[in-house]
Amino acid sequence: MQIERICIVGGGTAGWMTAAALSHKLKGLPVAIQLVESDEIGTVGVGEATLPHIRNFNNALNISEPALMKATEATIKLGIEFCDWGRIGDRYIHPFGDFGPNVNGVPFYQFWLRLRELGDSSRLDEYALGIVLAEMGRFTMPGTDPARVESTFRYAYQFDATRYARFLRQYSEANGVVRTEGKVVDVKLDSESGFVESVKLDRGDILTADLFVDCSGFRGLLIEQQLKTGYEDWSQWLPCNRAVAVPCESRGPLLPLTRATARKSGWQWRIPLQHRVGNGLVYCSDFISEDEATEFILGNLEGPALAAPNKLRFTTGRRRLFWNKNVVAIGLSAGFLEPLESTSIHLIHEGVTELVQLFPDKRFAQSDADEYNRRMGVNFERVRDFLLLHYVATQRDDSPMWQHFRNLKLTDSLQEKIDAWTTRGHIIKYEFGVFLPPSWIAVLIGQNLLPRGYDRRVDAAPKDVLIRNAAAIKQGVRAAALKAPDHAAYLRQIGAASDTAPMVARA
Amino acid sequence: MKPLERIVVCGSGVAAHLTAVALARQLPPTIRIVWVNGADSRDADLFFGGVTAPSAYAFNLAAGISEPRLMVDTDSTFSWGTHFRDWGAENVSWVQCSHLALPVINGVLFHHYLWRLGIDQLEPFLTPAVAARRGVFAHPVDKGPKLLTRAEYGYQINPYSYVAPFAAAARALRVETVTAEISNVECGEGTISALHLSDGRVIAADLFVDCTGPDARLLSRLGVEAPVGRRLRAALSQVHTEKIGPPCRSVIARDFGWQSETSLKTSVARLTVYAPETESEAIAAHGDAQHTGEITLGRRASAWMGNCVAIGHAASVLEPLSHAPMLLLEREIDRLLTLVPFSRDMSVERREYNRQGAEDYTHAEIFNRALFETPLKAQTDFWLAARAEPPHEKLVQKLTQFESRGLLAAFDLEPFTPEEWVILHHGMRRRPLRYDRMADRTPEGEVRPMFDTMRREIENLVKTMPTHNDYMIGLVRYLRQNQK
Repeated sequence: MQIERICIVGGGTAGWMTAAALSHKLKGLPVAIQLVESDEIGTVGVGEATLPHIRNFNNALNISEPALMKATEATIKLGIEFCDWGRIGDRYIHPFGDFGPNVNGVPFYQFWLRLRELGDSSRLDEYALGIVLAEMGRFTMPGTDPARVESTFRYAYQFDATRYARFLRQYSEANGVVRTEGKVVDVKLDSESGFVESVKLDRGDILTADLFVDCSGFRGLLIEQQLKTGYEDWSQWLPCNRAVAVPCESRGPLLPLTRATARKSGWQWRIPLQHRVGNGLVYCSDFISEDEATEFILGNLEGPALAAPNKLRFTTGRRRLFWNKNVVAIGLSAGFLEPLESTSIHLIHEGVTELVQLFPDKRFAQSDADEYNRRMGVNFERVRDFLLLHYVATQRDDSPMWQHFRNLKLTDSLQEKIDAWTTRGHIIKYEFGVFLPPSWIAVLIGQNLLPRGYDRRVDAAPKDVLIRNAAAIKQGVRAAALKAPDHAAYLRQIGAASDTAPMVARA
Repeated sequence: MKPLERIVVCGSGVAAHLTAVALARQLPPTIRIVWVNGADSRDADLFFGGVTAPSAYAFNLAAGISEPRLMVDTDSTFSWGTHFRDWGAENVSWVQCSHLALPVINGVLFHHYLWRLGIDQLEPFLTPAVAARRGVFAHPVDKGPKLLTRAEYGYQINPYSYVAPFAAAARALRVETVTAEISNVECGEGTISALHLSDGRVIAADLFVDCTGPDARLLSRLGVEAPVGRRLRAALSQVHTEKIGPPCRSVIARDFGWQSETSLKTSVARLTVYAPETESEAIAAHGDAQHTGEITLGRRASAWMGNCVAIGHAASVLEPLSHAPMLLLEREIDRLLTLVPFSRDMSVERREYNRQGAEDYTHAEIFNRALFETPLKAQTDFWLAARAEPPHEKLVQKLTQFESRGLLAAFDLEPFTPEEWVILHHGMRRRPLRYDRMADRTPEGEVRPMFDTMRREIENLVKTMPTHNDYMIGLVRYLRQNQK
């Protein structure tokens, strides 16, 4: 009853991440994996910035970090710099890591809230090594001793997603994945069960499989076009529905962070790679036209554009079922959430990991699909709430889009989180979901939503002890950051620096 | 707005002792802690059972009660968990212990290899379980043998004497203790305004903590209904012993319910839990009892109403089959500490406290309930009542996933760990239809010797450990000498 054949429909980041992970995890077992993709169909390649979890994914596949970084023109990412989100002129960094150590079970930021009341003007950022490193443009490998400040941050990559897919294609093919060039023109369903039996390609090949993974992108070739699974539209909360992306020449030092700048009708990303800078504007078509958006992004690049603008359309939301019958949707076919917090690749990673955990047999127990859908549903919903937080924890009302968010009725889960925070700096925690308390704290404080109170246990510490301890922590963070090399130097040091010269626009 | 300045804790049992000391120890001196300690709410303490979770160490330490002090000043001993015996129709037996994460081999969880290799027993791979059956104990210190460092331990306790160091700490700390009964609870507009005491005093506060046991003498006055679950009776007695028994509580299923034996420093405590309808059989089996009680299992709809927070049995009652009652009590107190309000406007704190409380209760209750998801021991009142209500959907999901493929379905911040669930399922002889297919990638010739070595190393390690009796005597002697 074991699965013998898997067919992945669609290449791109989702398809090749799925192929790489399955081929590695199933190595040595009698399972054939084929991937069908067409060179004629472009990939979206959104999400060039990642989250630290991508390192677990790559490590599990025994991928060499320097080799991967070099091949994908990758840079280190210590977090995201958010500009103009709370108010125009503001900036803050959402780091990968924590703000100071817990003291007697109480998170450090609670002590910082009291320090502010005592007149201390330090930014919370000064207690986060990830932020201080990012601001200095430095990087060193995080330490492993949890007692030391060097262990208090993590990192991810900014890379060329198309090159990442290419890298994983080589990896997957070396692991036995068979790639078939072609477009799917027909799909055969079992007349009784409704399961997908085979897909027919434009060249006439018919590919049969026990399990199909739909990585066909927004259109959901199998999960939607064939199985009519349905889509849950979340535009009421996250109305941005368009993006225009354009790479440009690099200017200035190589920063270990992504930047997201709030605009009147959306937000603009800046992702520095070794050979170029990725840029884009995510916007809502109710508030700005496609032409205006294109003109805006082209007028707000730091260097000459390297390609024509790539225009994308999407509807924020999720597939009603991620796993339906013998089809599992991974990537954009599963749902779309704007890349404000670099979650696109992460949700692919989650999808593949859960599929490996819940890998079915030919009986396709409904309980496997139910559990997969429950887990992925939690992931999507929690990312949605976190993204929405950026739009509503703000003082901006300078355009129709920001006014729209002012009047928005939030999801209950998000409203309760904000209330608990503003009342007393309490974070409603969860265990399953990508954004843990430090992420929420970074955005809430970064966007000027300071709580009215703090944990009452904080007042049990004498004032002078508190001030002394905080100063020592801050000094320790700064000293650790000063020991780290410059970001570009670090890439050279580990052999991750690109062999090719930075891209230059044609005259 | 007027800041919160005064908290009154009411009650005289385990819940009140732990709460009063934890608040006084961890909150700033600007918040006065008054403890109305009548002698009227200890009857139900036997339903806290005879064991704590491993978390007791850290909880007590934060409250200023160190383990050495607990070991010297009370009759508590160490606990590797609970040895269930004659459980269910198949009379199964296992040690329900706590353990840090089991090894992950080539990305696959340990328990899948048991089924792959056709190994029926998990216990030989659990140091605390093997040590419990052998009656031996040693502290899992960081620099000790690797297999021992993965073991976790709690305490075997008598809930009536466990509180001694807390009572002493309350006296030494800034707790203002009032020894009087509550004669009236004065309420207005959904809050408590004052307590009228038997000595004529009237005590007002910003926040009242109700630790008065299942009657919830404060919270019930605010209209929060009592739970309507099944009713249980219990009897507790202690028999003097010369030697300390095993570092593990035992629970034996009986037709009328179950009986536990807890090995304390100078006695064995026997607890008999049964359905009220079978009182005569249960008492005949138990013998003379020092404490008896009757209680209704379940949770009040809100543990925090107005300016009153219920903690312990005043909020919810779980059957003391596992360490759930003591574990939940600690978590309630920790939750209150995190959410002590700033002023009399405590709506946000109340909502969050109740949300977490409801989840915690459900997650602990389903662990207990999972112990009954087996062919019944007997068609008697106790066993039939335990299964009368359908299990919670989360338990259904957990059982379905485990029985289907050995998967541990998990929810946010559960009080019981995945390892405790694996040990429970395995102990109750739940076996999945299939194991993780990825386990087949590691050749049997590679993985079987690993398992054989692990089992042998645990056996050898346990052989070197002293008996619980010898360990305790040596430890207490050492601690007393050091005190001098």
